[in-house]
Amino acid sequence: MNRHLVTYVRWWWLLVVAAMLAIWPTCRDRQASQRGEELFQQNCAICHEASNLDLKKQPPKLEGLFQSKTLPSGAPATDQQVRKTIIHGLGTMPAFEGRLSDEDVKNLLAYLHQLK
Amino acid sequence: MSLRKILAIIIASFSFATACHPGAKRYHMRGQVMDKNVATNEITIDHEDIPGFMAAMTMPYKVKDPAVVQEVEPGDKIAADVVTTTDGTDYWLEDVRITDESGRKSTPPPSPPQRLAVGERVPSLPLVNQDGKTIHLDDFKGRAVLLTFVYTRCPMPNFCPRLSSQFARIHEDLTKTPGLIAKTHLLTVSFDPKYDTAPVLRRYGLAYLDNDASGFAQWDFASAVPSDLRKLANAFGLIYFEQGNQIAHSMDIVLISPQGNIVKYWATDWTTAELEDALRTEATAPPARQTVQAGRLQ
Repeated sequence: MNRHLVTYVRWWWLLVVAAMLAIWPTCRDRQASQRGEELFQQNCAICHEASNLDLKKQPPKLEGLFQSKTLPSGAPATDQQVRKTIIHGLGTMPAFEGRLSDEDVKNLLAYLHQLK
Repeated sequence: MSLRKILAIIIASFSFATACHPGAKRYHMRGQVMDKNVATNEITIDHEDIPGFMAAMTMPYKVKDPAVVQEVEPGDKIAADVVTTTDGTDYWLEDVRITDESGRKSTPPPSPPQRLAVGERVPSLPLVNQDGKTIHLDDFKGRAVLLTFVYTRCPMPNFCPRLSSQFARIHEDLTKTPGLIAKTHLLTVSFDPKYDTAPVLRRYGLAYLDNDASGFAQWDFASAVPSDLRKLANAFGLIYFEQGNQIAHSMDIVLISPQGNIVKYWATDWTTAELEDALRTEATAPPARQTVQAGRLQ
């Protein structure tokens, strides 16, 4: 019994490493989503969370964007499609090419996935 | 003090705070005054990120208290609150505090280029439109022209998207009056020629024309080589400059007579109806009035 206990104690650090590896993706996702929320507020909310703008088409609300099978444009609700829309614009939505980095778009997508 | 009393005070304070600014959102801003306009009650600020509202950029803001515009000077560092309506359609500055005036410029900033006076003839510089075709303002002689400047990547709904949306409404109305189609023209000029190439302008135009390419016959989307663009902007008083990965710019709309002379400018307040009425009036003005106007120029 004591010998087993000694073995467990000797390898305790493996448990810590395993726990850290298990938690790390969650922490990373949370950080991405938090940064995505900041970017959303700075770049997207001014149109997508406003109403009665003096615009030809009112920008759609984005809550539950990835809960639906299709985007407001009718295209499939995939990361690839949303990335394309952000970078190149769509209809009257301006392109964000040169303004948001790949990392920014990745973080924005992480946040949009969490919007219920 | 009992817990109930503390709770009552907290609730009362919260109610008071929200009742003070019903339906308004406030964001804290820090930045430096770049320019001020007492006539329009605006100051242009090079500001840091405004969390929850906007990324760092230079842009003009209306100020609630006109005395503030008199007080601040270009070069001053300020802190202020950006207040927006809940629907985001309007925003202004309140509680503006000068935090550092050591950078205050002793001499006034350079004035914007002297734009052409009302009645003067417009320059006919070469522009390239959404079809890759070279056009000149002279091509529209015989038509009243409403011209404005945008860049297609503009993310501010109250700036370029609003201008293009208003032009789209005017275009829709004009198409319902066949007699006016031949007498009027809309022209949107991009000051971002590097990005706004002919295909980009075509895609942008189609979005505002409900994907009906026949609309380009009455509404051109064009750009020009940078040197000509700068000449055109100077002629019409447009200010634009690169700011980080955005373009800071003023808003300018110009009405040009069928003879090719400046009739009127709008730079601050206007409505779609006001623009459309002015365009219709100019297009249908009796030739005698138009001749007088042209004569006054020479």
